[in-house]
Amino acid sequence: MATAQEIADAYADWQARCNDNQRLAKMLRGWSRTVHLVASDTGDGFTVGVSDSVLADLRTGLVDQPDLVVTATSEDFADLFWGDLNPSEKYLSGEIVLAGSAEDVMRLDAMSMVVFLDQ
Amino acid sequence: MTTHVGLRRAMGLRTAVSTSTGLAFAALQYLAAAGLVTYVAGDSAWISIGVAGLLALLAWSFFGELNGMFPTAAAIRRYMSNAMDDRVALTVTFTYLSTIVLVVAADAFVVSAALTHVLHVPAVLTVVWTLALLAVAVTSNLRGVKVAGWLQDIATTLVLILTLVVAGAALARSGTPLHQPLQPFGHHGAAGFIESVALGIFLYSAFEWVTTSAEEVRDPRHIHRAMLIAVAILFVVCAVMATAMSHLLTHGQLTSAYPQLYLGARAFGTAGIWLMAAVTAVTALNTFNGGFITASRFIYATAREGSLPAPLARLNDRAVPWVPVVALGSVSFAVSVVVEVVGGTGWEVLVAVGAAFEGMIYAVAAFCVLRLRGRLPDHHRPFRIPLVRLVAVVGLAVFGVMALVASVTVSNRFDPVPLLIIALLGGASALYTVRVVPKLRAEEEARRAARPARRPPRPSGGPTVPPGGPPGRSAAERQAPSVP
Repeated sequence: MATAQEIADAYADWQARCNDNQRLAKMLRGWSRTVHLVASDTGDGFTVGVSDSVLADLRTGLVDQPDLVVTATSEDFADLFWGDLNPSEKYLSGEIVLAGSAEDVMRLDAMSMVVFLDQ
Repeated sequence: MTTHVGLRRAMGLRTAVSTSTGLAFAALQYLAAAGLVTYVAGDSAWISIGVAGLLALLAWSFFGELNGMFPTAAAIRRYMSNAMDDRVALTVTFTYLSTIVLVVAADAFVVSAALTHVLHVPAVLTVVWTLALLAVAVTSNLRGVKVAGWLQDIATTLVLILTLVVAGAALARSGTPLHQPLQPFGHHGAAGFIESVALGIFLYSAFEWVTTSAEEVRDPRHIHRAMLIAVAILFVVCAVMATAMSHLLTHGQLTSAYPQLYLGARAFGTAGIWLMAAVTAVTALNTFNGGFITASRFIYATAREGSLPAPLARLNDRAVPWVPVVALGSVSFAVSVVVEVVGGTGWEVLVAVGAAFEGMIYAVAAFCVLRLRGRLPDHHRPFRIPLVRLVAVVGLAVFGVMALVASVTVSNRFDPVPLLIIALLGGASALYTVRVVPKLRAEEEARRAARPARRPPRPSGGPTVPPGGPPGRSAAERQAPSVP
C-alpha cells in the first residue's frame, strides 16, 4: 500500500508535467472539472481540480461535488502519477473504476497519454 | 474512510431511456419494419414484432445481469474475457463493432435516399448527400461536439411520437378494416413467421448499447430500467408502424429505400412526406452521435490496451481519438457507396447482416451469463436471472437459430450473401486476433520493459510493502494486473 504522502509526491510530479505541457494545455482548454480519487485499499480520498488548463494542488479528502470519481488501489494511484502504469489497461481489466461522463474520462486518460507517451 | 457524493453531471432515467431507444430507432428501422411485413400475411406483422420483443426481453435479462456485474463502459470486454478465451472475446468484440459501421453506413444511405426522393433530384446525388452527412458527423466528432442529453431526449421523443402519429393517422384515414391481423402463419407459413421474428429482433437492436453509459448514470439501476422501458416503447412504435405499412403500402413501396415517406404521404399528403423526411434526418442525429462516439472510444481504449495498432490511440487537440473517427467515417462511406451501387436489395443485405449480428451477440450474452455463474459464483449481482440455466440455454438456442435464419434470408428468399459477409468479417477478426494482436502486445511489452520505472524506490524499513513487490520494478512489472 502506498501512503498518502507517496501519492501526494507522485501527484506533484504529474501535476508539474501536465502544467508544463503546451499540447495538454490546448487539450484541456475550457475544461473545468473536480475529480475525486478514492484509494480502495486505504480508504484515503483526494480531490483534484482542473481549471483553465491548469491542474490545482492535490487536496486531501473528498471536497466539493465531483464530475469524475476514480477508484483504484493506492499503489496504482502512485504508479499512475509517476507514469509507470497504463490507466486504460487497468480500466479495461476492472482494477481502476470510474464514475463520470465518457468525455471526462477521455480527457483524464489523455493527460497520461500526452505527458508520458507524447502522443 | 471517505464517503462518496453524487456526481455533478449525472444521467437521469429519462436520458437513459432516450439513449437506449434512440440508439435502437435508427432510420434503418423503417426499412426493416417494411421488410418484415413481406414475411407475414396481411396485417399480422405486429405479432412478429411482439414475439421479437419478448426475445428482446430475454436479451434484456442477460444484459441486466452482466451490466450489474460490470457497470462500466468496458463491460463487453470484462464479461467476455472472464467467460471465454481472450482471443475469442476479442474476435467477437471486433465483429460486433462492425455492426456499428454497418448501421451508420446504412443510416447515411437511408437518409440520403429519402433526401433525393423529396427533392426530386437525380439518384446519383444520393452519394453526395451521404458524403456530406458523414463529413458533418466526422467533423463534429473531431471537434468534440456531443449532443447534449436534453437535446437527445427531445430528438428521440419527437421521432417516436411523430412516427406514431403518422402511422396512426394513415391507418385512421385508410377507412378500411385490417386484413388478417391475427394470422401470422397465413400465406407464408411457420417458416415465414420465424424469418419475420429474426428480422424483428433487428428492430430492437442496439437498445443494449446504453450499458456503455453505466458510469454516467445517477443510479446504477437506471440502465436496467431504461432498457426495459425502451423495449416496450420500441414494440408500440414499431408495431403500429408495421401495421400501417402492411395495410397501406404497395409491395413496390415496401421494398423501396424510403417506405416511411410513402406512409407520411398516406397520412398527410405532401406535408407528410416532408415531415417523415425530417424525422428520418433526426434519427441520424442519434445514430451518428451514439455510433461514432461508442465505436471510436472503444477502439481507442483497445489500442491503449495494446490490442489494436498504437496510431488508433492518437488524440487531437480536443482529446478526440481522430484516427478511429476518420476511419469509421471512411469505412461507413465506402459501405454506403457499395449499397448505392449494388442497388436493389443492397440495404436489405445490410439489415440481414445486422439482424444476424444482433442474434449472435445476444446468444454470446446468454453464454456469458451461464459461464460466469460457474466461474464467478460469488461476484456481486444486483440483478439475478431466475432459473438461469433454463433461461440462458433457451436464449442461447433461440438467438443462435435466429442469427442463422437472418444470415441466410434476404427478401423472404434464401440468400447466403449476409452469411458470407459475416464469415468474412468474423474470419478477418479471428485472423487479426491470432496473428497480429500477439505481435502488438509483444511490442508493447518490449517498450515497457525498456522504459525504467520513474517511481523512486521506497526507503528500506518503510511502513508498507506493495502487493506486487517493492518499488523499483520496471514499468512492465508494475503494469501486470494484480488480480488474476
